[in-house]
Amino acid sequence: MTHPVIPVIDTARLMLRGPQPEDYPNFKATFASYRSRFMGGPLNPYEAWMLYAAEIGHWEIRGFGMWMIHDKVTDETYGMAGGWQPAGWPEREIAWIIWPDKAGKGYALEATHAVRKHYYANGWDGAVSYIDPKNLDSIRLAERLGATKDAGAATIDGSDAVYRHPAPGALVDSQLAHGIEMEIGHYADPMFKPKGWALD
Amino acid sequence: MITLSGTLTLHTERLTLRAPHPRDVDAFIAFYATERAQFTGGPMTERQAWNFFGTEIGHWVMNGFGMFVVTHKGDDAPLGIVGHWYPKTWPEKEVGWVLFDAKHEGKGIAFEAARVCIDHAWTALKWDTIVSYIAHGNDASVALAKRLGAMLDVDAAQPKPDSPGYVYRHHRGAA
Repeated sequence: MTHPVIPVIDTARLMLRGPQPEDYPNFKATFASYRSRFMGGPLNPYEAWMLYAAEIGHWEIRGFGMWMIHDKVTDETYGMAGGWQPAGWPEREIAWIIWPDKAGKGYALEATHAVRKHYYANGWDGAVSYIDPKNLDSIRLAERLGATKDAGAATIDGSDAVYRHPAPGALVDSQLAHGIEMEIGHYADPMFKPKGWALD
Repeated sequence: MITLSGTLTLHTERLTLRAPHPRDVDAFIAFYATERAQFTGGPMTERQAWNFFGTEIGHWVMNGFGMFVVTHKGDDAPLGIVGHWYPKTWPEKEVGWVLFDAKHEGKGIAFEAARVCIDHAWTALKWDTIVSYIAHGNDASVALAKRLGAMLDVDAAQPKPDSPGYVYRHHRGAA
């Protein structure tokens, strides 16, 4: 049996690794909570376990999937981010979820920016994110990543909005790319003030 | 890094039991779309069945054991899945079986595959108990459980208390 080697992705503050059995408790806590209401939750313990196992199986079936987001220093987990395309998904998705008590620190931005860069460097020519229209935090993140609502794109089941990510070329040495890097830099170092730039 | 610990393959006289592979997903989805799947959590939509197939693979990673795809020796076409099943919240470890197509019933395939899995559970996995959870009305599986020497255990805990079924308990040396 062949299985994909899941690459490790390093960012300023984070290390992204394939989901492991020992990472399960945090996943379960989040999917048991109201936090997961836009991702098919809340789930009971049985359903949460089955979904976590499916996250692992997704890597095997598709060759890509969701990484577990770890703190680079403490190894603590903050959530998941990666590529997602189960049956019925019209296109390949960039998806993310951050544990409720870890939100607001820019981890999702830093992780999704890194996984998108990874997939773009490995043959993807684009991606979408399927987002519940009521999930304002995720819509805001999609926009910070440069994604725009694509009203004409096929949805999963009609209840989701499709946000289309910029093509790989639009992230090379562009104002958008610099803006994302700068926002991430500011989260990583709150004292960070680039010369010659007015912040806010 | 994910490494599936379930690269193990079991052999019987006529069958090969190997770990599930992405190429099996269509057969899995096709089975779960049919009424035949009513006793094993189906029928399911394509999306549900695809996710469940992912769960079958992830189960190996989470537990170090899982369900095998059963094939005829020398032919890779999947006949069904048989093996070891223990998702979170299951009261006990289970040996389960599914034949995808009715045309493969009545040939002892499920019996042969389940028997080697029960033996493997006792000897290699060192399980202390083995049960098979069987839905009410699934007469074919009840008959197979009995043929394997399992006995109905009315006092055993139910995996899904809201929709109880039969719990057949296997006994060492019975099959």
